[in-house]
Amino acid sequence: MDNAIYVGLSKQMILRKEMDIIANNIANMDTTGFKVESMMQKTDPQQPAYTFGGPRPVKFVSPDGVARDFGQGSLVKTDNPLDMAIEGEGFFQVRNSQGARFTRDGRFTVDNNGRLVNQKGEAVLDDAGGEIQIDPEKGQVSVGADGTLSQGNERVGKVGMYDFATPGVLEKAGDNQFRNTSNQQPTVAAEAKVRQGYVESSNVKPVIEITRMVEVSRSYERTAKMIDSEAELSRRSVERLGKLQ
Amino acid sequence: MQALRTAATGMAAQQMNVEVISNNIANMNTVAFKKQRAEFQDLLYQTFEAAGTQSSDQGTIVPTGVQVGAGVKAGAVYRVQTQGSMTRTDNPYDLAIDGRGYFQVLMPSGETAYTRAGNFAVNDQGQMVTQDGYLIEPAITIPADAVQVTVSKTGQVQALQAGQTAPSVVGQLELSTFINEGGLQALGDNLYKETAASGAPTNGTPGAVGVGTLVQGYTEASNVDAVAEITALIVAQRAYEMNSKVISTADNMLATANQVKA
Repeated sequence: MDNAIYVGLSKQMILRKEMDIIANNIANMDTTGFKVESMMQKTDPQQPAYTFGGPRPVKFVSPDGVARDFGQGSLVKTDNPLDMAIEGEGFFQVRNSQGARFTRDGRFTVDNNGRLVNQKGEAVLDDAGGEIQIDPEKGQVSVGADGTLSQGNERVGKVGMYDFATPGVLEKAGDNQFRNTSNQQPTVAAEAKVRQGYVESSNVKPVIEITRMVEVSRSYERTAKMIDSEAELSRRSVERLGKLQ
Repeated sequence: MQALRTAATGMAAQQMNVEVISNNIANMNTVAFKKQRAEFQDLLYQTFEAAGTQSSDQGTIVPTGVQVGAGVKAGAVYRVQTQGSMTRTDNPYDLAIDGRGYFQVLMPSGETAYTRAGNFAVNDQGQMVTQDGYLIEPAITIPADAVQVTVSKTGQVQALQAGQTAPSVVGQLELSTFINEGGLQALGDNLYKETAASGAPTNGTPGAVGVGTLVQGYTEASNVDAVAEITALIVAQRAYEMNSKVISTADNMLATANQVKA
């Protein structure tokens, strides 16, 4: 009979994790290139120790991964010439000491060596995996829809956009970046377009997050109530069985 | 509960955002002020189940994994280096820079600072100084009997002295450019300092390749867009509220857990 309490507990543990994810989504509502996540759950059939009327499968709730919505975030105009947003599927690639990182956060700048870098100073890679050099003296940088950078009439490079056949292999690494967790090699994204002077805001929809938060909170209360009544039931049965003797 | 701490990071980040926005609005009328923007980044993720790990002997793998993030942090606060609009003042010592470059200012400490605020004046010795009385470099001395001072687009300063028919050249202004202007450190008083991130300054005459030109009788207005700032302020305030809502909901969940009868 105690199974019901543990099933309820398994649900509550998921709900708390789901709440953490919602909190993270809301905290990152204003984070450039952030992709919203949601908790997926599955039933996890386990053999019970004993159930009244013969063994019956008891279904616990267990986490079934975090679904990440890679959908397009809205584009916000910044007018900063080195701010770039990707329209369509694809990621910018930057290189840091730990290897390649993928990001949709295109707030770039030029470092003291003239390299195109992100706000952390990590080099932004071109479509062949090399760094991009910009000479500020040559004037305004203009970015074509395919990522081609030019200053005046001179082509100075091309910002690489990479795509994965299954973006699920990416793992969040913090700092608006993703890490590749598989052997799958990214391919150059031909369909994606770069918009200069824009950044992509997060694709968090606050109304949905708040609604889900209310849902989680109520569901948590409901489960607590169920655990309560289950405990009450076993308390009563102990009382009555005691009286029969 | 992680949600409480996550929402707290969200509130802290939005508070910082409001501080940056209010500084922009406060400096809306500051000469040559460049607006700043707070940049947010998500914090580290705790991985409960890694994507790509094997889930059975048959070689099936976990397609997405379970990762829970710890919230948000304010990363760099960066300056948007777009040109401010020109404001006409008719003051002969007001110089606006059209394009790249900074005036050099000799600080009392002997260091060189950089500014785009060209609202200069002349001190008791006839030297061109900033509004704080700091000398600009290279030093320009205006003759006491000058009746008219003109500064050309390329920075040549000419003064027409009383009793003369042709103006004489009294100095040549220079502008410093940086490879990464965003790396300059703001000192307040519209002044900036060179850092390792900005790179060393390159001095050039105005109008040379990659250097802006001077416009006399104008000052450069700030590049703050009031409407954009107010909109950002509204977004920040609502985001702050929403994060506080997360805290109260997480608190309710904890209260529910506490109320379970033992």
